[in-house]
Amino acid sequence: MRGLLVLAALLLFAGTAVAQHKHVKPAASTPEAFTATPAFGPDGTLWLVRAMADRIVVVRSTDLGKTFSEPVAVTPEPTNLDWGPDARARIVVDPRGGLVVTFAIFQDRNFNGRAFYARSKDNGASFAKPAPITADATSQRFETATVDPATGRVFATWLDKRNGPKARAAGKPYPGAALAFAWEDGEAGFGPTSIALDNACECCRLGVAFAGPGKPAVVFRNIFPGSVRDHGVVTFRDEKTPGPVRRVSADDWKIEACPHHGPSIAILPDGSYHVAWFTNGSARKGLFYARADNGDTPFGAPRALSTAKRQPARPYLLANGPALHLVWKEFDGNKSTVRWQMSQDSGRQWSEPRTVADTDDASDHPLLVAHAGRAYLSWLTKADGYRLIPLEGQP
Amino acid sequence: MIRTLLVALLLTVASAGTQAADLQSFGRGSWSKLRAAHDGQPTVVHFWGLTCAPCLVEMPEWGKLRAERPDMKLVMVAADPVPQDPARVTDILARADLARVENWAFTDRFNERLRYEIDPAWAGELPRTLLIDRDGKETVLTGVADLAEVRAWLDAQKNR
Repeated sequence: MRGLLVLAALLLFAGTAVAQHKHVKPAASTPEAFTATPAFGPDGTLWLVRAMADRIVVVRSTDLGKTFSEPVAVTPEPTNLDWGPDARARIVVDPRGGLVVTFAIFQDRNFNGRAFYARSKDNGASFAKPAPITADATSQRFETATVDPATGRVFATWLDKRNGPKARAAGKPYPGAALAFAWEDGEAGFGPTSIALDNACECCRLGVAFAGPGKPAVVFRNIFPGSVRDHGVVTFRDEKTPGPVRRVSADDWKIEACPHHGPSIAILPDGSYHVAWFTNGSARKGLFYARADNGDTPFGAPRALSTAKRQPARPYLLANGPALHLVWKEFDGNKSTVRWQMSQDSGRQWSEPRTVADTDDASDHPLLVAHAGRAYLSWLTKADGYRLIPLEGQP
Repeated sequence: MIRTLLVALLLTVASAGTQAADLQSFGRGSWSKLRAAHDGQPTVVHFWGLTCAPCLVEMPEWGKLRAERPDMKLVMVAADPVPQDPARVTDILARADLARVENWAFTDRFNERLRYEIDPAWAGELPRTLLIDRDGKETVLTGVADLAEVRAWLDAQKNR
């Protein structure tokens, strides 16, 4: 009897295993990059760079995202794209209409990256073979290119691990990665790489805004003493000289890991700084926003966006003239929603949060983009594909 | 009676696992099934990730605890925000001698939903350990777990 029961149980188990569980087939899937990043050209063309599993393509739209051109390949062959949750292929359009795409690949299984850029000189009809953004091959990730609106020069910044092996060879620990930068050097690509600072948190996206000509401001998750991974802003004094780290908030998130959840920054014409970020610190948990009057004053008290139980995540800020827009993603139990707020008084008062889009499957981070005075939500979802959604009720 | 016995045997077989790693796909609704399957049994659920460096450092310690406490109901859930290659997940588990415990891996990219089903306030940070007692009461250990605390909890369950 006992033997029979065991046999029955085994048979039953075998049956249940097939019926109830979708077992994972070995090598059935590999992680995939899934992002869409927009940029408007001076003529109103919407350029979109897509990271699609193992390739990067660019498409364009001349009707605000209703229809798109056939994709143009940036990566000539399938490649091991950086699929990290905060990684993103990006595109910038310089004032002459030149296009620069940036993206990173994984070099190995230890998440060492290699950042590339590819330029188009024929208005997006083709892209030159991607070239490394820097000569050092150790590791670069979270490359972020931005056009200096005053000079038209492209600024690139990224997280770079070149100083880690040297430190460790000398018997010193080296947590995180360096914040590196380079400026476009005419047709030759990017000029020499400089290190702004060491030991930033290594897996979070960076945010960049311009405080003035040749003065990018970079927000990043820093590693403060005691492995506290809170945010800092570095504003450049000139193209070559990064200023000191200004802490955005003392959240006291002590963690020996990187949370793959980076910040966003905007600077308004009045010189005020605006930062939104995620933290799980002992001082506060969730999504927050803070402002500072200018590049020197401390940031004000953080304002909570939503509540932790709605998983608020992936904030994004955009200055559109004097208007400031803020979006983030949250989850209501069934759907991911994009929540939007706007401020017209330099971030002191905000409109009530409104849901501007939702989806019931996986989605990319919500992004904001503006052209001709109008701001748009740019969002890629599994269910609906890419959408450019005008934010209504703007002045 | 027979049915109860069968279910009990079934669960024993399922958790003991006599063969190599049997990685189950964790998708929408998996959490409630997992909880139901362990209803009434003290269970340790450990969430880890292939992309979580501290998790990989900690993993062999879980293997040792498992060897030391073979009667422990241990469930490992690979909760990477982007679903990972199952071959690599099982490889890491095997190296830590954890291939034979009940293993799951997130296979749905709608990570928000999976996390919400487990705990609406979980922002996705790893590692994370849930100690679930006989009555279903959860104790959350965030970050690398203090295994002395897990041992004490396991002992307390026996004495109840």
